[in-house]
Amino acid sequence: MDHKTGIVLEIQRMSTEDGPGIRTTVFMKGCPLRCVWCHNPESINPKPQVQWIGVRCIGCKACVAACPNGALSFDNGIQINRDICKGCGTCTEVCPSTAMELLGKKWDVDALVKELLKDAAYFSTSGGGVTISGGESTFQAHFVKNVLSALKFNGIHTALDTCGICNKSTLAMLLPHVDLVLYDLKEADLQKHIEFTGKSNLIVRENIKFILSFMKDHIFPREVWIRTPLIPGKTARDENIVAIAHFINELLTINPRAITRWDLCAFNNLCRDKYTRLGIRWELADTPLLTKEELEHFEAIAKATVKNSSIVKTSGSTRMEETEEHIPEPKKTSGCF
Amino acid sequence: MSQISPQQKLKQPGNLSPRIQWLRDYYFKGAERKWNNEYTCFTTGSPWDAQFNEMSFYIVPETYMLMQTMYQSYRMAAHTVAVPQDFYSWSIPERRAWFNKEVMVNYLPHEILPGDLIAGARFNIQTSFCLTKKEMKKRTKLVMGKNGARAKMKWFHDHGFGNAGATSGHLIPDYEKVLKAGFKGIYKDIEAYYNELSPKEKKGKKGAQLRAMMTAATMPRDLALKYAEVCKQLSKEETNAERKEELLQMAANLEKVPWEPATTFWEAVQALWLAHMLVMSDENYPGPGVSFGRVDQYLYPYWQYSLSRGMDREFGKEILKCFFIHCNTAYDAMIRTGNQGITSGFGQLITLAGVGKDGNDMSNDLTFAFLEVIDEMSPILEPKPNIRLHQKSPDALLDKVVDMIASCQGAPFLLNFDERSMAGMLREARKAGIEHLIHENNVYDYAPVGCLENTMVGNDRSGTVDNNLNLAKAVELAINNGRDFFPFTDPVTGKTEPIKQIGPKTGDPRTFTSFEQFWKAYEIQTKFIIKKIVELYEESERIRAQFHPTPYLSCLVKGCAEKGVDITQGAAEISFTTLEAVTYATTVDSLLAIKYMVYDKKICSMDELIKALKANWEGYEYLQTVAKNRAPKYGRDDDEADSMGLKVMELWTEETWKYKTKSTVRQFRPGMLSWNYWVGDGYILPATPDGRKKGQFLSNAICPVNGADIKGPTANANSVGKVLGGKHNPGDFGGYVNLLPNGASHTITFNPSILKDPEHREKFKAFLRGYAINGGTALQINMLDPEMLRDAQKHPQDYRHLLVRVTGYNAYFVSIGKELQDEVIARLSHSRF
Repeated sequence: MDHKTGIVLEIQRMSTEDGPGIRTTVFMKGCPLRCVWCHNPESINPKPQVQWIGVRCIGCKACVAACPNGALSFDNGIQINRDICKGCGTCTEVCPSTAMELLGKKWDVDALVKELLKDAAYFSTSGGGVTISGGESTFQAHFVKNVLSALKFNGIHTALDTCGICNKSTLAMLLPHVDLVLYDLKEADLQKHIEFTGKSNLIVRENIKFILSFMKDHIFPREVWIRTPLIPGKTARDENIVAIAHFINELLTINPRAITRWDLCAFNNLCRDKYTRLGIRWELADTPLLTKEELEHFEAIAKATVKNSSIVKTSGSTRMEETEEHIPEPKKTSGCF
Repeated sequence: MSQISPQQKLKQPGNLSPRIQWLRDYYFKGAERKWNNEYTCFTTGSPWDAQFNEMSFYIVPETYMLMQTMYQSYRMAAHTVAVPQDFYSWSIPERRAWFNKEVMVNYLPHEILPGDLIAGARFNIQTSFCLTKKEMKKRTKLVMGKNGARAKMKWFHDHGFGNAGATSGHLIPDYEKVLKAGFKGIYKDIEAYYNELSPKEKKGKKGAQLRAMMTAATMPRDLALKYAEVCKQLSKEETNAERKEELLQMAANLEKVPWEPATTFWEAVQALWLAHMLVMSDENYPGPGVSFGRVDQYLYPYWQYSLSRGMDREFGKEILKCFFIHCNTAYDAMIRTGNQGITSGFGQLITLAGVGKDGNDMSNDLTFAFLEVIDEMSPILEPKPNIRLHQKSPDALLDKVVDMIASCQGAPFLLNFDERSMAGMLREARKAGIEHLIHENNVYDYAPVGCLENTMVGNDRSGTVDNNLNLAKAVELAINNGRDFFPFTDPVTGKTEPIKQIGPKTGDPRTFTSFEQFWKAYEIQTKFIIKKIVELYEESERIRAQFHPTPYLSCLVKGCAEKGVDITQGAAEISFTTLEAVTYATTVDSLLAIKYMVYDKKICSMDELIKALKANWEGYEYLQTVAKNRAPKYGRDDDEADSMGLKVMELWTEETWKYKTKSTVRQFRPGMLSWNYWVGDGYILPATPDGRKKGQFLSNAICPVNGADIKGPTANANSVGKVLGGKHNPGDFGGYVNLLPNGASHTITFNPSILKDPEHREKFKAFLRGYAINGGTALQINMLDPEMLRDAQKHPQDYRHLLVRVTGYNAYFVSIGKELQDEVIARLSHSRF
């Protein structure tokens, strides 16, 4: 593929969770990791895929008739034979209701940048900008570089959300166009990292050091936010948080001011339906959320261990308490005109 | 975390003194109260007399069936007022001025509620038309005759065009003059104009009008003196020394204002209230958008004066809280029927903050005192606050605004945006050739009335709710070659009218070979429906001008005394009437759907589409689904779709500027406000090409069609800004263009997670600042509530694009399964996002 087009999963406007201010987040397709808790399983495959969203379907079967490869059938809902489906998207073109959805669309750099500039006013009032996420943002590195440099040319604040699995040369190419790096440190233990994500964390540890060194003699990036997912029964362990904190302390010796934030992101189960739609059994489907006390506990450990405790932040939902469950059905009132 | 029950989460009033707590509780007892302010009716005693002016209600379709009942019941309930012998030899305005004054000063009881700091209790009256038998006969024929205003109005509404009628209120009287010069000053000015008249003019209409206004200008003085007596009497019986003192002070205030200029804050608020309530008496209509304007500006000198002389700031707020209670008693008018359709139509707006002369923000300590009062009193309905924001609004103001939105689960006020609004005001000045009245050096003093309708202050009546036109009717006529889709059957008589050629013949669309041809037909039909509503409005406008003067209100609007002409005859210096377009997004999306399905993608023929619409989409579910989901939509920041939106906007607004009323020479101007018509008229208008079935809601004001704004709040706001004309130099003002001087109602529903912590509140503030740059003229902020999600569980088909967000994670609510849905609802109920 040339570097003028990329496969984008989704563009989310007015995102408030992927860096400072109001942002537009671009979710790229393709990821080298296979995290067991992955919240965007539809982003892993670098190629376009189709999915069927049952609640939207009117059962017209136009998709079945239109598929050039015979990959679709109707049997208690639309069945997609993923061995045959080429992700061409013909079915999504004929679907009247968008029940057949193409995950991953081709975007041209100029068109994408034009789309991303639409919220420039809100970026300027909020100190926000554009975040490239995924999938893995560096997976389509040349395309992403072209997008980032065009955004910088237009004075837009940029953030790169990365898991850290990529070549240093790729990083060296992207970093000069990035204001903020959102960097994942998921698991400190090597074996567990492989177990949870399918890849070693050695390169992750090396690459963050590379970024911090890079920042010493470059204007960009300006700062790094570390992000750690707190997954019950997986990464949400005292020793993992302590070990990551120690590692951050080590990083602070390389570049004391570069890391301005460490986010502990609580596990979320809202992506459950995505697995169902993709026909994948999700190991964590029935995992409960962290309790509020657990989240506070991890926050306390992180703050106690990391040198600069003010960088520690938490985000995400915690479990609803039993006593909170019973909510009376409110009376029906007329709508507000 | 402490447990929060959902009941507790409803916003509660706070920081109320026992006085205000009692008044507020008493007010909310409603019909159980011993005292109330329901309509009291008065007659001259002539057998032909009547009170109820139905034309004020022509824009309220819910009342059509009740009109005859109201007309008769007010007549029967009326008390007789003894009129002077030569009464009928006077002019109509003189009769009305005398009669209303007589009723207010000598017939209606004067009462002070326990603890109240403001006098002026009863004001809801239905008073005699004061017409001679001959005049009455003429009026009756014009209103109720076979081809009278009522019949024409009903035909218009029944056939799905909308409605129009010369309505009361919807303006900001010159209250500042009452405070500065007193009614004494107002009287003197009228008298001076009268003395300038030639003897012949004095005998004519001008002289009569000015004499009527002089009578009206003394009404507040005489009424205040009556209330002063009551206060003195009460003080004699009062045992509590502090209250006794208050009553004596109230008496002193009333002996001075509103006849003399006000000095203290208490006097100013007292004068303001009496001046205001008498407008509602004069028009026989409780609070229909009679608005206060920039209260935090013109009351500020009095606030400062009293604070500097030792008034406790909390006592100043106490005075305002009494004022708030009084505003709410407007609702008592029909307290025993409690019809929402009628009683939700009030809108006594107060305007807070906004730019001043130098472009800087004008918020001050009184602005914040008002905000505190709103916060402490709410939930309460009146007065309705509009907060003016702009690019330079200070953080302290935005912080307070956002805090109040967070604590109320939605905004207890409307936000008005200055730059876009002022661009519209300057556009109307240019369009109407009144640049000497609205220009760069005074446009910042604009203020909204009613809901959000922008006007100037003290010299402007712009009939902001008088004409409500369904743009989608033009689509129906274009598809049907100028005819209705279906014959109309009267629900009362059961009689069915045959389908007639009511609009121009624009050709059978099945023969059209391009969208451009269809557009041409739509354009002709749009021009036709605008001409039609202009003609309809003329009916009630000319009858009002002839028979229903409001001499007291005329005292408070610049232009009337100067010309010696009543405000109902178009005498206000700035005298527009506003055409409010309804069903805008439904219309734009319908045109987009026709273009997409019939011409661009050729998914169906025009013939099939017409069959589908005639069948109300039944049996055509595939096509309906395509129309709803695949055709482009306005509201997504899609440049192509929004350019269709702009094209529709330019067409109807330019056409609107071509008209003036004949009888009163009021220029028509465009705006977008849909009140509740987008719900009610959804049952009248047939299925539309955007996939909507008959009976489903139409689009509201300038909002995208429900559920169409799938790209979120920024995209929604950008689309609104673009169809208002966007931004380009020089624009109408500072690079902004605004095709709708009246303004446009826009509502956005947010996920509550946007306000969950200080970091997110900053982002929300930034959104509001961004809206000032890219968005429209006015914004109502709603928060996603559990009830909406419960409805989405039951009717997933209506909420297919509803996104819920739990700490940044977005999911389509209808696709996440019942169990998770329940959890999301529970979280929302507990603010646990």
